[in-house]
Amino acid sequence: MFGWINRVMEESEKLKTEENGESEEITWSWGAGTDGLPLDLKDSANAAIVADPSFEVTANSKTLPFVEEKKESGDRLWSWGAGTDGQLGTGRIQDEHLPRQLSLPSVSSLACGGAHVIALTSAGKVLSWGRGNSGQLGHGEVVNNMLYPKAVTSLENYFITHVSAGWSHSGFVSDTGSLFTCGDGSFGQLGHGDHASHCSPVKVSCFVDQHVAEVACGMRHSLVLLKGCLSSQVYGFGSGKRGQLGFSKDKIKSINLPKVVSGFEDVDIVGIAANGDHSAALSVDGNLYTWGRGFKGFEDSHLPQCLNSTLKFTKATLGWNHALAMTGDGEAYMLGGNHLGVLKDLRNECSDSREANLKKVPGLDGIKITDIATGAEHSVLVTENGEIKTWGWGEHGQLGLGDDGDQLSPVTVSLGYDLNEAASTKVYCGSGFTFALTKP
Amino acid sequence: MSYDDVEIEDMEWNEELQSYTYPCPCGDLFQITKEDLKLGEEIARCPSCSLYITVIYNMEDFLGSSDQNRTNKGLQPSKQQAVTVA
Ligand SMILES: [Zn+2]
Repeated sequence: MFGWINRVMEESEKLKTEENGESEEITWSWGAGTDGLPLDLKDSANAAIVADPSFEVTANSKTLPFVEEKKESGDRLWSWGAGTDGQLGTGRIQDEHLPRQLSLPSVSSLACGGAHVIALTSAGKVLSWGRGNSGQLGHGEVVNNMLYPKAVTSLENYFITHVSAGWSHSGFVSDTGSLFTCGDGSFGQLGHGDHASHCSPVKVSCFVDQHVAEVACGMRHSLVLLKGCLSSQVYGFGSGKRGQLGFSKDKIKSINLPKVVSGFEDVDIVGIAANGDHSAALSVDGNLYTWGRGFKGFEDSHLPQCLNSTLKFTKATLGWNHALAMTGDGEAYMLGGNHLGVLKDLRNECSDSREANLKKVPGLDGIKITDIATGAEHSVLVTENGEIKTWGWGEHGQLGLGDDGDQLSPVTVSLGYDLNEAASTKVYCGSGFTFALTKP
Repeated sequence: MSYDDVEIEDMEWNEELQSYTYPCPCGDLFQITKEDLKLGEEIARCPSCSLYITVIYNMEDFLGSSDQNRTNKGLQPSKQQAVTVA
């Protein structure tokens, strides 16, 4: 199973509570805090290093998944938050309020959806786990929950370069520019011209003569970015009720074949995003376009709207009621976000300007950021100092702070590992959960 | 506070749950049964978290319907595999 390691902490917590003291001999091997208290980074980094995937734990943990093999890739992967469908990859169906370290060799990136996760390896292979009741895992069968990463074998003959996970559907892009989709198709979000669902990835025939660069899967819609196709580079399909397809001023209930998004005829788009009923695109010169459901207090937009700002953005991610955007200078901004992914209450700040809804993420004191991610109602960022900070809705532990509370502004998460030792830290959010991936 | 207002036509009928459902940001589903709708209930709750939505619908649309012709061909509930500690 690709050396999937699960350093489970809960047993140690329980033991500590129940047997009080006897747990000392085993807590060392988990590399994470107990009882919600952050560990000293130095000690815990050591702890994480000595952790051995083949260790025998106590008799109490006989049901722990056994790991056969670990390749020493040095990649480290953590998950926390809602785990009700096995999406945390911990081998269990339960929430985790603190980060737990997992290990999956050579993972180059992740995509997290409503309750499923797709991992892309550096060899272009795809693994998936979590909820599969609509076929979104692509394993060729409908499974309610897949607790461990499993290869998407039907894509083994392709080198996959990009993946996206929506609420209950998935998209895969190959190095040759082919697009595959699977999962729930009841809103046309798979783009196959019907409303059928598929439990294996199916090639989207509309793009066979095109080179697909990226796919973005939202709650019930999908966006596609083509390479080298300036006049018609962004496509949308699926539910369009909130304007998230962006090709018509009229209300479109749904379409099941890709259609060109309007307004990018003279713009070079380099990135797309979809989540909830929101859509977004970034241009090569750093302009951010959004369409779909209006951010708090604003009307839905059925056509892409360029945010009128002098800021030049390099990455943007969407929640269900907010967006995060990062500038080339390492500054983080938030759009919307006075819902559950709260930063502040904007009720007393009446304004007609969408730009006024764009706020710099507070509390960073000039510290630059290197990555951002947004769950449905929570936010995550990585600082240049190698810290992961979270805020927003925390009921399922998706903030990783050891409790189920909400946070109004970024709070540092303790992974029990010194992120300064990592050359790169990336964060990914599903609806109610979070993953962090570090590379040495 | 209601998380959102959702029209009944945007909710999906789920055979397994015998409920109308809508995605909850926690990853689970907001749910409301036809019986609830007949009684005028307008709150759909999520079994996994504290959030709820307000369902927008016409009560009259549900007063005449019957659940009896609905067959449950849904999947068996997922087997809970959470690890228990002795
Ligand atoms: Zn919920």
